[in-house]
Amino acid sequence: MTQPIVSLSDLSFAWPGQPPVLDVKAFELNRGERLFLRGPSGSGKSTLLGLIAGVLEANSGAVHVLDQDLTELSGGQRDRVRADHLGVIFQMFNLVPYLSVVQNVVLPCRFSKRRLGEVQAAGGAEAEAKRLLARLGLSDEGLLSRNVTELSVGQQQRVAAARALIGNPALIIADEPTSALDADSRDRFIQLLSDEAQKTDAALLFVSHDGALAPLFDRAIDLAEINHAASIMEQA
Amino acid sequence: MGVSIFGLAWRSLMNRKVSAFLTIFAIALSVALFLGVEKARNAAKDGFDNTISGTELIVGAPSGQINLLLYSVFRLGNATAEISWPTYEAIAARNDVAWAVPISLGDNHRGYRVLGTTQSYFEHYKYGQRQSLAFAEGEMFDDLFDAVIGSEVAKQLGYEVETPLIITHGLGAGGLTDHDNRPFRVVGVLRPTGTPVDQTIHVSLEAITAIHVGWETGARNPLADNIPEETIRGFNLTPRTVTAVFIGLKNRATVLRTRRDLNTNMTEPLLAIIPGQALAELWQVMSTAERVLLAVSAFVIAVGLVSILTSILTSLNERRREMSILRATGARPSHIMTLLIAEAAVLGFMGAVLGAILIQIIFAVAAPILSAQYGVALMGTGPGLVDAYTIGAVTLAALFLGIWPAITALRRSLADGLTVKV
Repeated sequence: MTQPIVSLSDLSFAWPGQPPVLDVKAFELNRGERLFLRGPSGSGKSTLLGLIAGVLEANSGAVHVLDQDLTELSGGQRDRVRADHLGVIFQMFNLVPYLSVVQNVVLPCRFSKRRLGEVQAAGGAEAEAKRLLARLGLSDEGLLSRNVTELSVGQQQRVAAARALIGNPALIIADEPTSALDADSRDRFIQLLSDEAQKTDAALLFVSHDGALAPLFDRAIDLAEINHAASIMEQA
Repeated sequence: MGVSIFGLAWRSLMNRKVSAFLTIFAIALSVALFLGVEKARNAAKDGFDNTISGTELIVGAPSGQINLLLYSVFRLGNATAEISWPTYEAIAARNDVAWAVPISLGDNHRGYRVLGTTQSYFEHYKYGQRQSLAFAEGEMFDDLFDAVIGSEVAKQLGYEVETPLIITHGLGAGGLTDHDNRPFRVVGVLRPTGTPVDQTIHVSLEAITAIHVGWETGARNPLADNIPEETIRGFNLTPRTVTAVFIGLKNRATVLRTRRDLNTNMTEPLLAIIPGQALAELWQVMSTAERVLLAVSAFVIAVGLVSILTSILTSLNERRREMSILRATGARPSHIMTLLIAEAAVLGFMGAVLGAILIQIIFAVAAPILSAQYGVALMGTGPGLVDAYTIGAVTLAALFLGIWPAITALRRSLADGLTVKV
């Protein structure tokens, strides 16, 4: 049996001076699995993603990502795990405004030698970025040369997806990436992201408040089912 | 592959072009001011020290040593009194004196001072590193109404050998007080020296006496116009007084004793000064003002540097998301720090370089005007080590100041995590 790529146990997190927002006994995400995590806004989804991405530190418990317990790593080591193995897509405004489309996509290769090595083996960072963008339906040269702030939200999200996917990370985490899209482009976006993740055997952790998306994934979990934090229970 | 952190900093600044340009411009102006003051002061000091050399003593009627220096060497202001010809002869005849060159000032030609002297002036007057005066064209005055002009006079007035010129009495403008009955003729043009010599018209002492025949009352006697040139040439044209005397000693070591002797033991009261000492005293008078200027301009640079802080700190709010995107894509705290420090350093560096260029342009434009108006030749104001040091220091200061916004941005991005509260 393969090790899960993400495994949380007895995890607890609170912002300083506030009651805990997360209290997760157990959570697992398997390699290559596409998981839908549903939760209303304010339910601690983004906090959970921050913990998995290693930008937040748990108060107690263990956060295993790729066989390493993030709680035992230094900030710099967690940053390296994220740079090497994680792709992140936000709700919106994913792109650095002063970089071109391709420069945005290759950004993670600047911060990770592993990912740089991967894209160089695949024929160079720029070529790989263009290949991913083409797979996500962005191949028009005119479009690629445009300022990223002039792209539509749907196009921006696809650029962000290409950036998350570049250099074959083992895990893609997406925080409400489709909430600003209409139904058509939303389904298409999830399909493309899902296909690309599957091709590179990357696990996908997709977080949204919109339960209707659940059927598009291998598995769906409600955050309320695994999060036992009192403050959240009261809200619900 | 992609964009380096430095490239990121550059693109980020270009994304805020107006703010970045204004900041760079503020730095550039402050650096230009600082370099301008620094260069002008060094150039002025060099120009000063190089005005006269090889002359051990200058003797004039008693006034102040700076006053004597100003009118005899810099052609600024007026002698309050003159020294008599017999006294000059007594000085020249002294055993310790190798040479004595008398000068007589008081008239002008179109704003340029006329200096009456002897041919030995061209032999003994030295400037810079004991350089002698050299002729660009023509030769020394020989005839009574010959004139030798400085390079700036030739350039500004377009004069050359054989050009006639009329000397005006006193220092005022021409007209009624012209010595127009005694026209001179240019026989020599000197090479540029970067000293007041360039602004001077040299004639013989006898010529000064000759053109003042009929001016004994201080104003023109119309009858004198009728005296033919031949008659005047027949007069004894030895001057009664001279304005000052430049002295070279046989032995430089006796300079203090000779000076004391001249100041105390002559039949007529005299003031003898050592040019280097007087120059130093004059410089000290000016250096207080010059140091204040330098301090003020250094403070202006500090203000310029603060504008870097302002510009970057105010940009941080709108850049919180940018920072969290960078963090999410794998940027470590050191990357964020480097990015913001690099931005500050780039602003400082570009501002300082632009300022150094700006001051060169300003000097290029101002030099001919300064030279024509004030006879100040600004030399050694070209790009030099001081520019390199200033650019380096400003860049380094900006870099250190950049640590502040860098830490602010880092703290925020760590607290923000992956989600940005916009």
